[in-house]
Amino acid sequence: MKVHVDPERCQGHTLCSMIAPDVFQLDDIDGHSTAVFDGDVPVDLEAKATEAARSCPEQAIVIS
Amino acid sequence: MSTDADTDAERKKNKYHFDRHTPEYREHFEEITTEMLDKCPVAWSDTYGGHWVAAGHDEVFALARSAEYLSNDHDVNNERKGYKGITIPTPDVEFQGGFLEMDPPAQRHYRQALNPYLSPAAVARWTPVVDELVRACLNEHIETGRIDFVDHLANVVPAVLTLAMLGVPLKNWSLYCEAVHASVYTRHDSPEIERVRADQMTMFRDMFGQMTEIKANPRPGMIDALVRAEINGKTPPDMELLGVIALVIGGGFDTTTALTAHSLEWLSEHPAQRERLSRERDTLLDPATEEFLRFFTPAPGDARTISADCEIAGTQFKEGERLWLSWAMSNRDPSVFPHPNEIDLARTGNRHHSFGLGLHRCIGSNVARMVFKRMLTDVLDRIPDFRCDPAGAVHYETIGVIQGMQHLPATFTPGPRIGDGLDQTIARMQVICDEQRLAEPVTVRKASAEITD
Repeated sequence: MKVHVDPERCQGHTLCSMIAPDVFQLDDIDGHSTAVFDGDVPVDLEAKATEAARSCPEQAIVIS
Repeated sequence: MSTDADTDAERKKNKYHFDRHTPEYREHFEEITTEMLDKCPVAWSDTYGGHWVAAGHDEVFALARSAEYLSNDHDVNNERKGYKGITIPTPDVEFQGGFLEMDPPAQRHYRQALNPYLSPAAVARWTPVVDELVRACLNEHIETGRIDFVDHLANVVPAVLTLAMLGVPLKNWSLYCEAVHASVYTRHDSPEIERVRADQMTMFRDMFGQMTEIKANPRPGMIDALVRAEINGKTPPDMELLGVIALVIGGGFDTTTALTAHSLEWLSEHPAQRERLSRERDTLLDPATEEFLRFFTPAPGDARTISADCEIAGTQFKEGERLWLSWAMSNRDPSVFPHPNEIDLARTGNRHHSFGLGLHRCIGSNVARMVFKRMLTDVLDRIPDFRCDPAGAVHYETIGVIQGMQHLPATFTPGPRIGDGLDQTIARMQVICDEQRLAEPVTVRKASAEITD
């Protein structure tokens, strides 16, 4: 499973890193999110990553 | 042959008489919301000169993020298209409400100037200061077994912190605090309104004085960033900057107060849930905070002006029409939130709209969450058996602007003070702010505040 945060959609609500801090990192300056892993998300973090995507108010997280 | 009138009637066929400024709206909020979500998630209302109301979650989501067709502009000097900003009806005294009543690029320039003060990393630096302030607020009352959660805690901490972040002396907090809250809850026909307006003038005079001082002698804080910012390549006029400072203050004060008061009131009514939240706080505090935000939606919505003819979420809109985006009603949509009118502290998939959506997402959202969590946690630790007094609780009569509370008295088993009272603590925090230059942006100072004696 791969995750990607669409930078055009993310507005820095921060719910993703609240739910899955090991999968999403927030920029120090504007709080916008990026995915920690370029490749696959470790299997044990998949459920949290999916929950983060469900919870994103802007629906900015793409799972593939 | 169809006429414009026919087309208009067709566009506005979903009608709902919507008046969020009446006490009846507050009293019947759940019924009205259920009815609108069910029958007309986007409706035309004849109130206040006629305007659209979006209540459905999908509809609000689609609309709020259609920046190319929506304007927040409040053109107070009639220099552009005369749009009326984010308030319906337009206030008697028109005043541009900072960058929340602007469109990009100016709106973006302001946010870029303030983001390094309000990002999660920037806000986390203030946590030790907030803990000191919360502890001092409780110290003032813990030995008596009585507190007013609004007057003595939830009004105080957000106000002092906001001033600290702006670079205004902390001891001025009370001059700002009551002026802001009273301006929200006082009706325009109330005998109190003259005094409230006088307090507001005093606040604006102080704000202007601080801004002038900081222009001449820089000191860390958001005001410093604003007076030195280039917006569209030039320094903005003083009135525009005052509007921005007033936005930060208005956003920083009453909203977090409202969230905290309602949450504490609910926890008092649900002691088993309160014990569960305290016990399982490591996993429950974050989702519970989001659930309180969803359910109580302190800022219930924003207006927009349609800036070009368009069709969004199945409705045709015409340029110049006004639209109310109801975060409060979209937060109760059962298609996204199962059992929407119940509080579920562990709710998942909670994509609520309480901080708005799109490029105007509440810039202070990280401050609100942090301050709320620190106040709540300290209350749970130090006065875990609090009981709010329903007879003394005063809710705002209407919830059109802020779903707030004016008073929330409570009793509890008395406990010991830990350290100083409020005035001494505020004086001590001022020294720490100055010596450690805490109000610098996170680009200049990354380290957290250090509490020294």
